[in-house]
Amino acid sequence: MTDATTLLVGPFNRVEGDLEIRLEVADGRVRAAYANSPLFRGFEMILQGKGPMDALTITPRICGICSISQSMAAAHALADLAQVSPAPEGAKVAQLLHMVENVSDHLMHFNLFFMPDFARPIYSDRPWFDRAVTRFTALKGSALKRATEARTQLMHIVGLLGGKWPHTLAIQPGGVTYAPTARDKVRIGADLAAFRSYLEEVVFGAPLEAFVDLTQIEQLSGWSSGDLALFLSISDDLSLDTSGIGAGKYLSFGAYPLPSGPLFQRGILCDGVAGLLDQRDIVEEIPSSWMLGADAHPSQGMTMPDEDMREDAYSWCKAPRLGGVPHETGALARQAIDGHPLAVALAREGSVRARVVGRLLELARSQIEMERLLASINVREPFMRQVKLPKEGAGVGMVEAARGALGHWIKVENGLISSYQIIAPTTWNFSPRDRHGVPGPLEAALVGASVRAGEDTPVSVQHIVRSFDPCMVCTVH
Amino acid sequence: MGKDTTQIETFYDVMRRQGITRRSFMKYCSLTAAALGLSPSFVPKIAHAMETKPRTPVIWVHGLECTCCSESFIRSAHPLAKDVVLSMISLDYDDTLMAAAGHQAEAALEETIEKYKGNYILAVEGNPPLNEDGMYCIIGGKPFVEQLRHAAEHAKAIISWGACASYGCVQAAKPNPTRATPVHKVITDKPIIKVPGCPPIAEVMTGVITYMLTFDRMPELDRQGRPAMFYSQRIHDKCYRRPHFDAGQFVEHWDDENARKGYCLYKMGCKGPTTYNACSTVRWNEGVSFPIQSGHGCIGCSEDGFWDQGSFYNRVTDLTQFGVEANADKVGMVAAGVVGAGVAAHAAVSALKAAQRKTQDKKEEA
Repeated sequence: MTDATTLLVGPFNRVEGDLEIRLEVADGRVRAAYANSPLFRGFEMILQGKGPMDALTITPRICGICSISQSMAAAHALADLAQVSPAPEGAKVAQLLHMVENVSDHLMHFNLFFMPDFARPIYSDRPWFDRAVTRFTALKGSALKRATEARTQLMHIVGLLGGKWPHTLAIQPGGVTYAPTARDKVRIGADLAAFRSYLEEVVFGAPLEAFVDLTQIEQLSGWSSGDLALFLSISDDLSLDTSGIGAGKYLSFGAYPLPSGPLFQRGILCDGVAGLLDQRDIVEEIPSSWMLGADAHPSQGMTMPDEDMREDAYSWCKAPRLGGVPHETGALARQAIDGHPLAVALAREGSVRARVVGRLLELARSQIEMERLLASINVREPFMRQVKLPKEGAGVGMVEAARGALGHWIKVENGLISSYQIIAPTTWNFSPRDRHGVPGPLEAALVGASVRAGEDTPVSVQHIVRSFDPCMVCTVH
Repeated sequence: MGKDTTQIETFYDVMRRQGITRRSFMKYCSLTAAALGLSPSFVPKIAHAMETKPRTPVIWVHGLECTCCSESFIRSAHPLAKDVVLSMISLDYDDTLMAAAGHQAEAALEETIEKYKGNYILAVEGNPPLNEDGMYCIIGGKPFVEQLRHAAEHAKAIISWGACASYGCVQAAKPNPTRATPVHKVITDKPIIKVPGCPPIAEVMTGVITYMLTFDRMPELDRQGRPAMFYSQRIHDKCYRRPHFDAGQFVEHWDDENARKGYCLYKMGCKGPTTYNACSTVRWNEGVSFPIQSGHGCIGCSEDGFWDQGSFYNRVTDLTQFGVEANADKVGMVAAGVVGAGVAAHAAVSALKAAQRKTQDKKEEA
C-alpha cells in the first residue's frame, strides 16, 4: 500500500453553487473524501426578528433553481404554525407548480449537468463517444437545445399560475393567490401535452407508461431508444452500476401532499427494509462544521458561524442525522420509498446508474401525475383560505425538492420569528462527518472511486458527485 | 485599452460559425432594434456594426447568489437572441454553464482576461461578502472578492446582474451576517450598469447585453445607474389593474370576489406604485404573466433595500419619486450614483489576508 496523496477537486462547474472536495488517494483509488461547501450567506440569521410571512419571500431566494420548493416548505411551516390546511383546490395548484419545478430540475440535471461529462476527450476511444459529443457537449450538444426549449414551454405553467419564475410569490399557507379559469386549464393542458411528446420522442423514445411499467433492473438492458438508451449503454461500458455505491439508507419526507395524502409516500428505507419516518429523530451535528453551539434538533437549533474556521472542521454545512445515521435523499430515495419495484431494486444497487435512472423514472411518473392533477382541479372552488398566524408557536414544513427532503422549522415569539432552521436535501447528501466520524452519503459513496494517473479532476469523481445532483446554494443557506 | 483587436473575430463571423443563416442574422438585427425600442432604420446600422466590429468578449462570474439570474437568462423569449448572446458568452467564461472544470476553468478565466485585456465586459451575478476577509464565498481556494477585483481590473465595463450585485438583496438583509456588499461598493473605478430585479426579466437581460455588444457603449442610465429603457417607468404606470386603483376597487382578502375580478392589489401590500421595472409591460416567462397578474402584489424586488422595509404585505404609504423609502440620505445617495461609478467613497475594504489554500496548477486543455 502506497502513501495516500491528497487531491483538492474544485471548483465544480455545472453544479448549482460552489463545491470543493478533498480526496485522499492511494493506489489509484479514493480512500477518503471530505466535502466542503465554501459559500455561506446566513439566511437563518437573517430570518430572525422578521415577520413570519416574510419567510415566503426570503427563503425562496436561497436558491434560484429550486425556489418553489423553498416557498412550499415555508408555506407548509406557516400553515402548521397556524394549524390550518390550505384550500384543497389551492393545494392542487401549489403541488402542480412544485411538480413543474421538480420535473424541470430533473431534465436540466440530465442534459446540462450530468451527461456533458461523457463528451470529455478522456473518453474519445469509447464506441459511444461520437454520439455523446453530438448530443451532450456542454452548451452546444443537440440535446441541450431541445431540453432548454421544452423546459421553457413547461415553465409557461409556472408563469401562468405563479406570475413569474424563479422566485414565484403565489404560494401561501392558505393556498394560492391565483384562481385558474377553465381557459387556463386548457392552456396548461396544451403545455403538458407538448412536454409529454418531448419526453416520449427525445428522452425515452417510447411511451412513458412503457418505462414506468418496468419492474426489474434486467429489463433496462432491453431499452433501446431515446437518450435513456445512450446513457444505459455508456453506463454498461463504464460499469456505472458499481460506481459511487451509497450506504443503502434512504429517507423521503413524502412528495406533493394532497387532501388524499402525498403522491409519493413518506418514509425511510434501510438496507431494503421500509420504515416510518419521525422528524423528531433528526439531529444536526456540528463537530465537522464551522458552526458554534451544540448538536440539536432543528426546532432547537441555531446558526452561529465559527468565524475562526477552526482547524478540525472543514465545511459550513452541518451534518443532519436521522436516528444518528446519515441518510441519502433524492429522486431514487423517493421512488423506492414510494414502493416502485424498479426503484426498490435500484436503491439496493445504490450506484451512479441507480440515481440517474431513478431520476428519469420520476420524470416519467411525474408527467403522468401532473396530467391527472390538472384534470382534477375544479375552477369553481376557492383556491385560498384565510389564515391568521398566532403570535406564539412553532411549525414545521416538510416537502420534497427535486434533490430530496427539505424541511423548515419555524418558531414565533411576540409575532416575530425567533428561530428558523432549514435542512436542505444536499445538507443531507453532502454533509460532513458527524460526531462519530461517520462520513456523509457523498463522502461515503466516493470511497473506492478510481483515479487515473495524472488526473487532477478525476472523471469518476465527477460522475459520482453529479449523480447526487448537488445544490450547494441550498446546502449552506 | 485594446491593442491587438485584429485577432478578435466579428459578431457576424461568430454567428456564421454557429450555423446562423444570413436570413436569421437579419431577423436578429430586427429583433434587437425592436427590443431596444429603435426605429426600423436602425436595422441596417446594427447589421453593419455586427459585420465589421470585433465582437465584445464577456466574462460572467458568480459570487454570493442563488443563480436565479442565469436561470432567468437562459429562458429568454427570443431564442435567436439568446442563442447568439449565449454563444458569445460561451466563447469566454461562465462557471455555471461551461464545460471545463476545476483548474482548467480557472486557467480559462486567466487566459480570457489576458487575451482581451481592456476589451471585455465583466458580468457579475451575486456579490462579494466582505466579513472574515471574504471567507464566506470561496472560489478556487480564494475569496470571491479577489476574483472579482482581479477580473474587474482589466474590464471595459461591468454589468451588475440582479438585486444581489446591484444592491445586496436578501442576503444583505439585517443583520447581513456575511457583509454581502454590492459590486459598486467594491469596484469604484469602472463604469457599472445595474440591472436589478430578483431575478431581472430575461428579455431585459438580453436587451441590455445586446445593446452593449452591438453599439459598444453603455445604454442611457437613470439616476441609479439602471438602463433607462427598462427602468424608467413604475410597474404601477403600466399595470393592467391600474383602472381599478383609480376607481378605488381593491382586493381586501386573498381569493375574495374582488380578487377573482382582478381588482387592484394595493391594499394587499403591492409595491407596484414605487417600483421601477418592466414587469407590467414585458412580463415573465415569455410574456405569459407577472406577479400582479397571478394575484400577488409586487414586492419591489428591483428597488434598493426591498428586503428590509418591514413586511412584504404592508401597504405602501409613501408614494414619492425615490422608491420605497425617501429620506434626505437616500436622495443624496441616489444623486451621487448619477455621476457614475467613479465617486463611491465608502469602499473602505479591509486588506485581504493571503488566501489559505492557493490553487496553482495552470493546466490547459480539457
